[in-house]
Amino acid sequence: MLRAALNRLIGMLTVMAIVVTIVFIIVRVTPGDPAAVMLGPDANAADIQALRQRLGLDGSIIQQFISYIGGILRGDLGQSIFLGQPVTTALWMRAEPTFFLTIFSLSIATIIALPIGVASAYWRGSVFDQVMTAVAMFAASVPSFWLGLIFIQTFAVGLGWFPTSGYGGPYSSLGDRLYHLILPATTLGIVSSALIMRFTRASMLDVLNDDYVRTARSKGMSEWRVVVRHALKNALIPILTVVGLTAALLISGAIVTETVFALPGVGNLIVSAVLRRDYPVIQGALLIVAGLYVLVNFLIDMLYLLVDPRVRY
Amino acid sequence: MKSILKAAAIAALAGISLPNFAMAQTEGGAIDVATIGEPPTLDPMTSTADLVGIITQHMFETLYTFDANWAVVPLLAADMPEISEDGTVYTITLRDGVTFHDGSDMTAEDVVASLERWLRIASRGMQTAESVESVEAVDDLTVEITLNGPYAPLLALLSLNNSAAIVIPSEIASADVMEDFIGTGPYQLGERRPDQFTQLTRFEDYASRDEEPNGYGGGRHQYLDEIRFVPVPDPNTRIEGAVAGQFDYVDSIAVEAYDRIASGNTEPVMLAPFGWPVFVMNTSEGVNADINLRKAIQAALAPQDMLLAAFGSEDFFSVDGAMYPEGYVWHTEAGTEPYKPMGDMELVAQLLEESDYDGSPIRILTSRQYEFHYTMAQVAEAYLEAAGMDVQLDVVEWATLTQQRTDPAAWDIYITHSPFLPEPSLTGIMSDTSPGWWVSDAKHEALGAFNAEADPDARVELWAAVQEVVYEEVPAFKVGNFNAVAAQSPALEGVTPAPWPYFWNAYLEE
Repeated sequence: MLRAALNRLIGMLTVMAIVVTIVFIIVRVTPGDPAAVMLGPDANAADIQALRQRLGLDGSIIQQFISYIGGILRGDLGQSIFLGQPVTTALWMRAEPTFFLTIFSLSIATIIALPIGVASAYWRGSVFDQVMTAVAMFAASVPSFWLGLIFIQTFAVGLGWFPTSGYGGPYSSLGDRLYHLILPATTLGIVSSALIMRFTRASMLDVLNDDYVRTARSKGMSEWRVVVRHALKNALIPILTVVGLTAALLISGAIVTETVFALPGVGNLIVSAVLRRDYPVIQGALLIVAGLYVLVNFLIDMLYLLVDPRVRY
Repeated sequence: MKSILKAAAIAALAGISLPNFAMAQTEGGAIDVATIGEPPTLDPMTSTADLVGIITQHMFETLYTFDANWAVVPLLAADMPEISEDGTVYTITLRDGVTFHDGSDMTAEDVVASLERWLRIASRGMQTAESVESVEAVDDLTVEITLNGPYAPLLALLSLNNSAAIVIPSEIASADVMEDFIGTGPYQLGERRPDQFTQLTRFEDYASRDEEPNGYGGGRHQYLDEIRFVPVPDPNTRIEGAVAGQFDYVDSIAVEAYDRIASGNTEPVMLAPFGWPVFVMNTSEGVNADINLRKAIQAALAPQDMLLAAFGSEDFFSVDGAMYPEGYVWHTEAGTEPYKPMGDMELVAQLLEESDYDGSPIRILTSRQYEFHYTMAQVAEAYLEAAGMDVQLDVVEWATLTQQRTDPAAWDIYITHSPFLPEPSLTGIMSDTSPGWWVSDAKHEALGAFNAEADPDARVELWAAVQEVVYEEVPAFKVGNFNAVAAQSPALEGVTPAPWPYFWNAYLEE
C-alpha cells in the first residue's frame, strides 16, 4: 500500500511539472499583453513598453520561467498584475463560492443520477429507462450557459425566487451567500448528472446478472436488499471514479457557470485572468486546478486499494 | 418606440443635463450598480478604460472637470487658472479646506507630487510631459505649471477622469504602484472583493463646491450612504438583472434589449449620441500607406448599412460624418463631403485607378468583444469586395487586438469606438504614435495651430481645419454616431445620462 502510494506520488509530481511547463509556455505564446489591456484603448506602444518594464514582463521567457519555478518551490505563485495581491490570496478569496458550488452541484448531480441510474438498469428497456436515457442525453448535451440563462429567466426574473446573479453584498451572511448558489448549483448539477446517471446504469447492468446477485435472490432476500446492499455496493467502484472525476471537472466546468451567474469564484477568476492576460493568475489557478485533478485521481486510486484488495499498482 | 425617441431627445438636448433639484432629495440608502466587469485597477492614472474612470471618479478628483456643456470648470482648483500672455505659464490656486480620505489636508505639495506622477506614468500624462517644463508649488495653495510652448489641451487633460491627473497625498504619489486608494472625492473605498463588489462609502469630511451641480462640475451632494459597483460580465445576465430589478443601475446594455428592459422592473436610459465607431487606417505600413487607397475605402464604405446592421434601428444610431455631432461646440460639417451614407462606387473606381493597389488583401483587425464592431466589419467586407478590393477579416479576441494593433506590420484597418471626448485633440488619431501612426505636414500644421490657440472661439474655427485634413488624408473612417443604453431603478433619482455615469447627487426616493 505504502509503495503503491509512493509510486503514485512520484507520478503526480511528474504530471504537475509537465503541467507547469506547458501552461507557462501556452500563456506566453498566446497573443495579447497585460500592459496593453491595463492601459486601455488610447495607450500607444511607448506607454505599453514602459508599463511592461515596470511589471517585469520585458525579460526573456527563460528568465521569467526560472523566476516562476523558483517562486513555486518557495510556495509563492506570484503577484496578480491587475488585482494588486498575491495569486494565492486571490485564489483563497474565491475559494468559498467555488467550494460550495462544487459541493452543492455534485450533491444535486448524485441525488438525481444515482437512483435514476439504478432504476434504469433494474427496469432495463422499459419506458422509464428510455425516457431517462433521453433525459440523460439532453442533460449531457445542453450547454450550461444556456440552461443557466433559462433558469435565470424562469426562476429569477419570472418568479422572482432567486437573485439573477452575484454572491451577495458586503453585509451578506453565509446563508445569503449560499442562497445565491441555488440556481448555479442546480444548473451545474443537472448538466453533470448525465454522466453519473449513464455510468450508474451501465455499472449496475454489469452486476445485476452476476452470480452473487442470483444467489442473494435465491436466498429469498427482498429485491430492495438485493439491489441496494448487494448489486449497488459492488457497482459503486466505477461510479465512485466518475463522481470523483466529476468533482474535479466541476471546478473547471464551473468556469462558464460562474461567469454567467457572476459568481466571484475560481472559474470567474480564470476567465477574467485569461481575458486580461494576467499571467501569474492564469498560471497559479491552472496549477491549482490541475493539482486538484491529480489529487482526486490519487485519492480514487487509494480508495480502490481499500475497496478492492485485488487491485495492484 | 415613442419612449425611445422621447428618452433620446431628452438626453440629446441635455447632454449631461442638470439634475432636477426641484424634487426633495432624501439622504441615505445604498445602491447597487451593475458594471461590465471588474476594473483592471482602481488607480485611474494608469488606465484609460471607461470602467476604471466610472468607479474611481467617486473616490478621486482632479483640478478641473467638465460642466454640462463640456466646458472646463474648476473642481479642486479654486478657480480657472491664470494663464500668462504667451500661454506658457498656468498659475492654479487651490481650494482651501480640502481633505483627503485619510484626514490630511490637500496642499500644493500634494498637487505637485500628483502631477509629477501623472506626467511620469499616465499615458495621457506622458504625452503631455513633452510640453511641460516644470510643475512647482508657489505656496501652500498655489501651483505653477510652466510649458515649453502654448498647449491648449492642457486644461482638458487635467479634467479627464481616465488616465486622470488625480490629486492624491504626496507620499502615495511618490510610488508608481498605488496601494492605498486615498483621494478627495465624495465617496471613499470601503471594501473591495474583486469580482464580487467594490463598495464606496460616504466621505463625511468631503468639501463640496458651493455652486449648483452642473455636469461633472459644481456641488457634489452625498445623498447616498453607499455605492456598490457589482461586476456582471455576461451581457445577457446584466439584461436579466435589469429586468428583474436586482440592481439600481445597470451600465452598458445592448440596444436590442431596450424594449425588454422597458417591460421590466427598471427603466431604460439612453444617452444619444454616446460615441462613434471608427475604422482606423494603418497609414504607416501596408496597402493603406497609399492615401488614394484610403480614399477609395472611404468612398466604398456605406455607413448607413453598416450602422443599420450593427444597431438594428435608427433609434440607436445616426448617420453623421462630422467628428462631433450637433450639440457639441466642436460640431462642424467642414470637409465631410466625402462621407456618403451609401458610399460612392463611381468615385471608388477612379480612386483605385489612381492608387497603387495591387489586389493584396486589406487586413481588417477586429474582435467580437463588441459585437457591433464585428457586424460592421462584415458589412464593410461586402462593400469593399463589391468595389473590387480583396479583404481579409482577422477576428481575434480583445486582448490580442490590443496587442496586435501596436504592430504596424499586423493590420491595415482596425475597428474601435470612442465616446465624444471633450477635447478633440485627445482623439487617438491626433497622436503621431497612436496605432495608425498618422503623420503629415498638413496634420501638424492644422493640429499645431489648434493646440497652440488658447481662445475658445478661435479654437472652434481651427478645429474645422483639422477635420478637413482628416477627410483629405483619411487616417480613419468615422462610421457614424451611436447611442448607449443603461437601465435605472424608478426609485433612483438625480442621475443624468453621461458617458461616465456618476452617482453623487443621486438619491433614492422614499
